[in-house]
Amino acid sequence: MSKKLPGYGTIRVPQEREVPFGAITPAPVRQQDLFVTSNWRMVRPVIDQETCTRCLTCYIVCPDACWSYNEEEDQMEWNWKFCKGCQICIHQCPVECLSPIPELDFEDGVQRLEKPF
Amino acid sequence: MPQERNLTGCSAAAQGAKLAEVEVICSFPIRPYTAIMMELAKMVADGDLEAEFVHGEGEHAQLSVVLGASAAGARAFTGSSGVGVTYAFELYSPIAGGRYPVQMSIADRTLDPPGDFGSEHTDALSFRDQGWLMGWACSPQEVFDNTLMGFRIGEDPRVMLPQAICQDGYFLSHIPDKVILADLAQVREFLPPYKAPHPLSPTCPVSHGPQIRPDQGAPMDAQRAATFLNLPQVIREATEDFNRIFGRNYDPFLEKHRLEDAEIAFFIMGAHANTCRKAVDALRKSGVKAGMARLRWVRPWPTHEIAEALAHVKAVGSVETSTSYGGAMRGGNLIHELRASLYDLDERPVVTSFMAGLGGETIWPEDFHYMAKVLTQMAKDKRADKYVRWLGFEAD
Amino acid sequence: MKPFDYKFQTFEPIKSFRGAPREEMYVPGHRTCAGCGPALNYRLVGKAAGRDTIFVGPTGCMYVANSSYLCTPYAVAWIHAQITNGGAVASGIEAAYKVMARKGKYDGPFPNVIVMAGDGGSVDIGLQALSGLMYRGHKVLFICYDNESYANTGIQTSPTTPYGAATTFTPPGKVIPEGKTLFPKDPPQLIIGGHPAVKYVSTTSIAYPLDLINKVRKALSYPGPTFMHMLTPCPKGWKFDENLTVEIGKLAVDTGMWTLYEWEDGVYRYQHLPKKYKPVGEYMKLQGRFAHLKEEHIAKEQAFVDQKIAHVKATAIPVEAVPPVAVKKKKK
Repeated sequence: MSKKLPGYGTIRVPQEREVPFGAITPAPVRQQDLFVTSNWRMVRPVIDQETCTRCLTCYIVCPDACWSYNEEEDQMEWNWKFCKGCQICIHQCPVECLSPIPELDFEDGVQRLEKPF
Repeated sequence: MPQERNLTGCSAAAQGAKLAEVEVICSFPIRPYTAIMMELAKMVADGDLEAEFVHGEGEHAQLSVVLGASAAGARAFTGSSGVGVTYAFELYSPIAGGRYPVQMSIADRTLDPPGDFGSEHTDALSFRDQGWLMGWACSPQEVFDNTLMGFRIGEDPRVMLPQAICQDGYFLSHIPDKVILADLAQVREFLPPYKAPHPLSPTCPVSHGPQIRPDQGAPMDAQRAATFLNLPQVIREATEDFNRIFGRNYDPFLEKHRLEDAEIAFFIMGAHANTCRKAVDALRKSGVKAGMARLRWVRPWPTHEIAEALAHVKAVGSVETSTSYGGAMRGGNLIHELRASLYDLDERPVVTSFMAGLGGETIWPEDFHYMAKVLTQMAKDKRADKYVRWLGFEAD
Repeated sequence: MKPFDYKFQTFEPIKSFRGAPREEMYVPGHRTCAGCGPALNYRLVGKAAGRDTIFVGPTGCMYVANSSYLCTPYAVAWIHAQITNGGAVASGIEAAYKVMARKGKYDGPFPNVIVMAGDGGSVDIGLQALSGLMYRGHKVLFICYDNESYANTGIQTSPTTPYGAATTFTPPGKVIPEGKTLFPKDPPQLIIGGHPAVKYVSTTSIAYPLDLINKVRKALSYPGPTFMHMLTPCPKGWKFDENLTVEIGKLAVDTGMWTLYEWEDGVYRYQHLPKKYKPVGEYMKLQGRFAHLKEEHIAKEQAFVDQKIAHVKATAIPVEAVPPVAVKKKKK
């Protein structure tokens, strides 16, 4: 009898369209490389290391954690890959050692990414 | 030796949850399921059950609490009735799609308006398409058994789905009957501990449920649907194991009563099947070749099993204790999928439906005798004159 | 019977930016607007809380913008909740950890369970779940990040939107010139006094990072439910240039539109109380959402704030605090 009844068909998700079980994804470790935001910015904050007092204000106020303090080299380091160019750090720096420079002035200035995200 | 006790359906559900060693329980009172929670509260207060008993602020909160608990790796249990079931509606898909195998013990109740404590299946049926395992018991024994089977099936790594274990309000939830319980050792043999595949934990961080694009939504739906293709096999295995360990005799999907040579059949779900069974026996005595197919799991709907069981029958009537206003048959909910299951048979039985037991009314043996008369006539005529008969409310 | 030791974590306050934990629990790589106040808040809270943390994220900007698409910036465990039930999902997680600890299934430090809900998910659609959580006494920190609107759906009014703010549901028009006519709810006051299990409630702002980090750590050191209300300015919704996020946060405190305080078991303590309050106009003129207001509307806002200030002056116990984020010096 069941030979004559229709089946339920098959379901196979192609590998390139696979989504994780229960929409549960692994946590990122130090940065989320699946969502790069460098091409958002129109200016980038450039630091004058001589004037900088290492107060760590820029590091604290960045919503994207793009400033970090390198203890060994004793200087602030900037994250090229994720800075959105919001300029909060420039605005909040107490000694004005950060300046906004147009992104396209730089050789490694980001114009577009291969994929939007 | 397993205890034998006289228990209501509510008590049976509580005993099942206790033996399943549920870990997080979330309560909120609503008739008629409340007694399940009252009994569990006492067990926790006396130290007979090591669990967190959380007083939810409403049914929506109940389902939210058990979602969180299951995501963290605990076996979680809740329940409700009537409009409580519909109030929690937002959570049914997130829980099923998030693959959190919580159990919701539902003593069903007619939906408002206005307040009606009597039983109807519409409340739980309203969320049957959200991706849960869902089925009705017909005795306190089966409530107890389904509680254990639900966890075993739902927590199987091939499944990982929540379960709605339903019983008719009042008829089962409040009327006691003999229940053979179980030893903890038997239950532990049948039901392994819950192992969440990726629990929320500081030791191995994961993100549950990030936003997705539409093109990612389609494969999510497909993956959820694929689980339901595997589900019947898991149900068969679990039922076989259950029967073996506990000494019962369940068919995985349908209770078939005198169906093998039946000419007319009742298709029914829940407690009114007990009256139906007796009516079938009485009809047989008076020479009518009647039979009954009782649906145990409404999700996953056992399409092939129903077709095979009813193929030889001349006329089938679904007995509907639920409403589907404006539905194709202008009656209840089971009829649509019953007809769909029988559609591809070479020789189709004549199919009709009967609305009975609505609002929590009793379905009497006389009602089944009336239905049998209608079905017999339809079998003779080889056609159904109506899609539905609202028993007691027909104008003609 | 000896109470069970759940191994709740406790945290010491920090004294400087250098003293803040360096590790990021909210990492770069998320779709929040440039200059997003709530994103900065999330980062600072994650810093304060550390690795043994589980975040609950009700739907909102801090869900959708953070987790697009199928990837998140949370280096710690995180779960999406509905906008309606942040408090309830967190309750379930906390209850699970309690029973798992008692049954010997988990023996690590009890995780910080933190709800990161927007203002809507806290005191509007999420209010029931928040209150249930606070009432039941779970060890959960419920954070309301306040960007004063339903921002993620395109800036609609919420119960914390200030009087006179333009949103897409309170647009100024010929018949309703001020836009929003209602005055906002006061979230900490909804919790304080009415929920006996709650012993610590505080307000803070991303303009005062040390204050924020220390208050979060203090809340997490409590063995019961705690509530925090964070001012997180939103460049898109409030219509200001994205580099001003922190400055706007500071102006809110300088004008009295926002007050930093702690309530600890009946005692109020205030931080960074201005010696002289600036007029609210100075705060509002930087934000496009107030650009349509006339003198009489600003006066109404000022009157509302003056009432709050008078109450603070009558009851305040000001405390010494670590200085806020340094003010931008004038150009030479």
